[in-house]
Amino acid sequence: MFPLRVRSYYSLLRGTASPQALCRRAKELGYSGLALTDRDNLYGLWHFLKGCTREGLRPIIGAEVSEPGSGLVVTCLVRNSEGYANLCRLLSRRHIAESFTLREDLPFFASGLLVLCRDIKLLAGYRRLGIAAAADLGAYPDAAARSLRLFAREHTMVSVVSPDSDMADAGDRELYCLLQAVRTGSTVSRTMQEKTLQDIHPLLGPEEYQKRFAIWPEAVAATEHLAATCTFAGPDFGVIMPPWLGADGRDAAAVLREKAYLGAQGRYGNDLGEPVVERLEHELRVIETMGFSSYFLVVRDIVHRKGPDGKRKKRRICGRGSGAASLVAYCLDITNVCPIKYNLYFERFLNPGRTDPPDIDIDFSWDERDDVLRDVLGDFEGHAAMVCNHVFFQPRMAIRETAKAYGLPGYEISQLTKRIPWLHGSGADSLEESLAGLPSLKDQDLSPPWPEVLALAEKLIGLPRYLSVHPGGVVITPGSITDYVPVQRATKGVPIIQWEKDGAEEAGLVKIDLLGNRSLGVIRDCIAAVHAGGGHLDETTWQPEDDAATKMAVAEGATMGCFYIESPAMRLLEKKAGTGDFEQLVIQSSIIRPAANEFVREYVRRLHGGAWQPFCPEQGDVLDETFGLMVYQEDVSKIAVALAGFSHADGDGLRKVMAKKDKALKLANYRAMFFAGCAARGVAPAAVAEMWRMIESFDGYSFCKPHSASYARVSFQAAFLKKHYPAEFMAAVISNQGGYYSTFAYVSEAKRLGLQILPPDVQKSLFSWFGRGRQVRVGLQSVHGLSGDFLGRLFAARQKENFQGVGDFFQRTRPADNEAEALIHSGALDCLAPNCNRTVLLWQWASFQRAMQDSRCLSLFGVRLPPAPPLPGPDRRSCARKEFASLGFLCDDHPLRFLKPPAGVSAKVSDLPRLVGRRVLLAAWLLTGKLVSTKSGEVMEFLTFEDETGQVETTFFPKIYRTYAHTLRSGRGYILEGLVEVDYGALTFTVDRLTAMR
Amino acid sequence: MSQGFRARERTVLHFNVADFAVAVERVEDCRLRQRPLLIAPLQAARAVVYDMSEEAYREGVRKGMPLRQATRICRGAVVLPPRAGLYHKAMLAFFKELQGYSPLIECGQADGHFFADVTGTHRLYGPAPDIGWRVRRQARTGLGINPIWTLGTSKLVAKVASRLVKPVGEYIVTAGEEEAFLAPLPVAVLPGLSVRELEQLRHFQLTTIGALAGLSRHQLMVPFGSRCDYLHDISRGIDDTAVCRPSTATATVDYEHIFADDSNDQEEVEGVVAALVSRAGSSLRGRQQVARRIGIWLRYSDGGPVIRQASCKNGTSGDFLLNTMALAALQRAWTRRTRIRSCRLVCDRLQRQSPQLRLFPEQEGRELREKKVLTAMDALRSRFGHEVIGIGRRIAKGGRQE
Repeated sequence: MFPLRVRSYYSLLRGTASPQALCRRAKELGYSGLALTDRDNLYGLWHFLKGCTREGLRPIIGAEVSEPGSGLVVTCLVRNSEGYANLCRLLSRRHIAESFTLREDLPFFASGLLVLCRDIKLLAGYRRLGIAAAADLGAYPDAAARSLRLFAREHTMVSVVSPDSDMADAGDRELYCLLQAVRTGSTVSRTMQEKTLQDIHPLLGPEEYQKRFAIWPEAVAATEHLAATCTFAGPDFGVIMPPWLGADGRDAAAVLREKAYLGAQGRYGNDLGEPVVERLEHELRVIETMGFSSYFLVVRDIVHRKGPDGKRKKRRICGRGSGAASLVAYCLDITNVCPIKYNLYFERFLNPGRTDPPDIDIDFSWDERDDVLRDVLGDFEGHAAMVCNHVFFQPRMAIRETAKAYGLPGYEISQLTKRIPWLHGSGADSLEESLAGLPSLKDQDLSPPWPEVLALAEKLIGLPRYLSVHPGGVVITPGSITDYVPVQRATKGVPIIQWEKDGAEEAGLVKIDLLGNRSLGVIRDCIAAVHAGGGHLDETTWQPEDDAATKMAVAEGATMGCFYIESPAMRLLEKKAGTGDFEQLVIQSSIIRPAANEFVREYVRRLHGGAWQPFCPEQGDVLDETFGLMVYQEDVSKIAVALAGFSHADGDGLRKVMAKKDKALKLANYRAMFFAGCAARGVAPAAVAEMWRMIESFDGYSFCKPHSASYARVSFQAAFLKKHYPAEFMAAVISNQGGYYSTFAYVSEAKRLGLQILPPDVQKSLFSWFGRGRQVRVGLQSVHGLSGDFLGRLFAARQKENFQGVGDFFQRTRPADNEAEALIHSGALDCLAPNCNRTVLLWQWASFQRAMQDSRCLSLFGVRLPPAPPLPGPDRRSCARKEFASLGFLCDDHPLRFLKPPAGVSAKVSDLPRLVGRRVLLAAWLLTGKLVSTKSGEVMEFLTFEDETGQVETTFFPKIYRTYAHTLRSGRGYILEGLVEVDYGALTFTVDRLTAMR
Repeated sequence: MSQGFRARERTVLHFNVADFAVAVERVEDCRLRQRPLLIAPLQAARAVVYDMSEEAYREGVRKGMPLRQATRICRGAVVLPPRAGLYHKAMLAFFKELQGYSPLIECGQADGHFFADVTGTHRLYGPAPDIGWRVRRQARTGLGINPIWTLGTSKLVAKVASRLVKPVGEYIVTAGEEEAFLAPLPVAVLPGLSVRELEQLRHFQLTTIGALAGLSRHQLMVPFGSRCDYLHDISRGIDDTAVCRPSTATATVDYEHIFADDSNDQEEVEGVVAALVSRAGSSLRGRQQVARRIGIWLRYSDGGPVIRQASCKNGTSGDFLLNTMALAALQRAWTRRTRIRSCRLVCDRLQRQSPQLRLFPEQEGRELREKKVLTAMDALRSRFGHEVIGIGRRIAKGGRQE
């Protein structure tokens, strides 16, 4: 018996077991191989192949193909490489074609495939066409199987038994029912009642099928015969490079050389120095040897796209990742920092020992990125698709979906899930225990049925739920892309391959990352506003990192709103460092990573002249630039090469494994290699241990120097604009959204910069925020609830003629009820009725609505609104409350002004520098927070508060955090009590008591 | 004569026993008087508060709040399960007290609210305030409960007045003073306003009844549409609705089940509907009536009721057809997967059961057998109580009910 039809959890919400678990189970049950046949996909192909290799099983690749609407399903098993390509094409057609039927479409792609079918009509059709097909009797010898077998015997076809299984074992029945409830929007209790054990099939042992089918033993034996005909063991494409379309018979390497030298002259002048030529030659040699020439040219063509006039125009970009270490890339103008000037390590990007294909990552402005993708997918139609993301159930989503399937009301579910912080994995045995131990859920009621919900939700965590689109990964293939991988269409319409980035990498598909970056939009809009206001900024000669005022601002940590360097931790570090140098900023933006807190403190000490020695003489000058500390990803490789004698490829392998989630086994091997290598070279054991500890601090995310340098340049551009054009800059930051802070916090920052915030105004406001001089006008994008259609009507009507009054406004723009109210509460209509209060405006809106229902009020010239009764206006507090609800901030006030602090609370944030070393009571507004883990694994939080006078960074140590976590909500006022401290010039406030203000 | 015909001023007494269920429980056990009290189903993990004493209210407990939260807020509270039968008995007892003073008495469902129209009873029982005092005294001594009583010229005025003196006291609004009495009061004390209407009033800064009364009917039309007349009248204390005793002939048959633990288990909910049908059927047969329409009112755990109905042309009082109709209505009402907190069954469009026999009795077959079964069950229930017998349900493979 060979199991020919088994579904894993990649048959989204239909199966419960991972491909690896199925492989393990198949091995336990004594099978020699396994066919994985997920529904309409090959999502789990690479996990399946790995699982089979690990367990020593023979893999058969396949998929179930379903016909939309009819419920018909056939199983296709791959016999050879032609069959694999055909299966990819068939699955792509199943997902992308407007109509798809198994009777008409499958025969075109049947070559090299073995089709198992349970429908007699289909089977008869396939037989007539000579397709290799067999009757699939399923897991029970029931009436349907009997008719199928009879038909097969009459027509000399093979009948086979198939497990048709959804689970690795019968114990997953409850989880399976939950998945069905999630899939169909039903409840667990109902699914449990509807699904009997007969309807759900686990993978059973061969003897069980032999027993069940004892009356038809040939159907069990046939599985082995059919399996023997499927000899395909998995695709092996090698590295697949994107094809360069502009070749026209020219050699890509020669063209690259020509373009690189031409670009170098543009960057460095006609007289290229020796270092440039040497480096270019070295890089070109490596690129050519490794076959990457066309890849560089493809990326260049994407960045410098040919316009309709045939001329190439460079898009606003920022090269990121290790690609920025390449001088060739810099000369092709696809990255923006000079690798020679900033000493960037090319081998981090490309080295002859590297077996996996590296990728070039390019950032475009977030609102231009979709156009770039559309162009690329259009230029390479049929050969290009985006990489997908497999979205798995995370704790929150699993709890939410399970609770919904248990019928718990939405508010009750949100109450719990909204308070689960991202920091998860406390080491507790069960989800219930770990939630019960969370400080933020201290007052949460977890009474029945929650324990049952959480126990089941825990089983759901880690199962795939749906496919999304990778933020920017594009794969381009020389042949049709559906020959390599099944393609489907994402919800937003773009074609996506069925594998995520790791799968694409396994297959050898080279990915180009075209990502969206908000800050490039900010810089673009700000410069446009500067030009529109009569200012001038020449970007070709712009060197913001040399501007003294900008450096000063960076040294003071005045970089809120500036790309990459605006987080509280980063700004504190800038203050402590106090330099504002580009080189230091590159180090700073890399050293701040989750597991490197102690090294950050050490960096500041050494920067301020603290004494330090290299850990061992063998490390040489490798880390001199970063004061002997490992800061960048490539430092890991460099140290492994220098101390333990690793090859470049092994060093790179160690660097890469640090960034992976599932690394325990591989890391243990590298550790042994590292210690052995160091011992062989006679490095002192204490230094080796210290170095390894530092290597371990790269756990989670970390950056390479080229990436940090590339980003630091954008950071400096932003800091320059903030310093010299604050109104234009803050308007651009808020308009482009997506910064680290809320709009509320940016508005406060604008006020602190001395800017006046002008309220939204239907006569004057644009969609975006607009800044000039010392004023910033709120854009209508910030009024909550305005639809795109309404805003379109508003701008069109305003362009024709200004609004004459509220009646005219309502008549010509026809807002929805919530839109009109939001505009009134935000103050955007105040300009149309200067003598009316907002209550009267609301009345007039109600009058307009009534008039629209009453035909007597309609006239040729529009609606005549009757005079409103003399209603009193709202008091300042409730007016502010409504304005806050509509905008998320107040234009003239700070919400703290409306909360009464208790007696004795008089200190303001601006007073804190005078109160260092003293205990202080402070009324402040919570902006944002960052959870961190202490060395002992306890949770603590750094929170940013503000008042009208400034921002303050606070520390909640574990004990205090546990006490108050459940009361902390951003966007609320609190009374804080604690100690004001200062560290290298940066002020912090250690809180030991907190009360929420009402 | 120049004044023309003038209707006699009405005199309406309103009695309101604050936190009725709590008051009744305290009569039953006087030790409970000293402690905060919550009424909620016991031994249910997800029970909600049905009623609470004034002390618990002051500590923040509200009706419909999860019991666990309520007991956390009000730590010393005693929790008792609701006893609908007992509250019904207490309502009847109070009703009897009032019957001595007026034939026109209106009361709610086990909520301790009573209106008595005592217009023209001066010569029989003395001035209306005296009746109020007397009833309260009798209620205190006879029943052990202490109702609020208020006096006004309409149900509206009497009701508003009762809201001013809660939980104990009395209030008399004399004829002609209604408008002045209402003017300074907040609009929230007016009865019959929906949450949305109250929100709209706040929206337009109409915070007092006086401010509301300042608007003309035409102006009120703007935000409130067809409700303008009602708002116009109540803001001036005008209320012509009569105090009317519900007549058993036209009253609907209405049963409700509140789930101690809210549920979305199909079997459980259908079981509850069958139990409600059985009670309604019994009641209809006892009244010799048939219902032509059945309504299912579901209240989900997160909000308002969903009402769906099913009807039949000839009407029925038999459990079997009633159950089929009820399940059809339930299917229409139960479209979400959120748990259900309560299920109410309302039989209306009632009419007298036709005494006429069928022309061809042999056609009745199954119907006749069912009728015999129901008659036998009714006989048993009349002797041993409703719970003594019921109709079983068979669950087929796949969970479907047969």
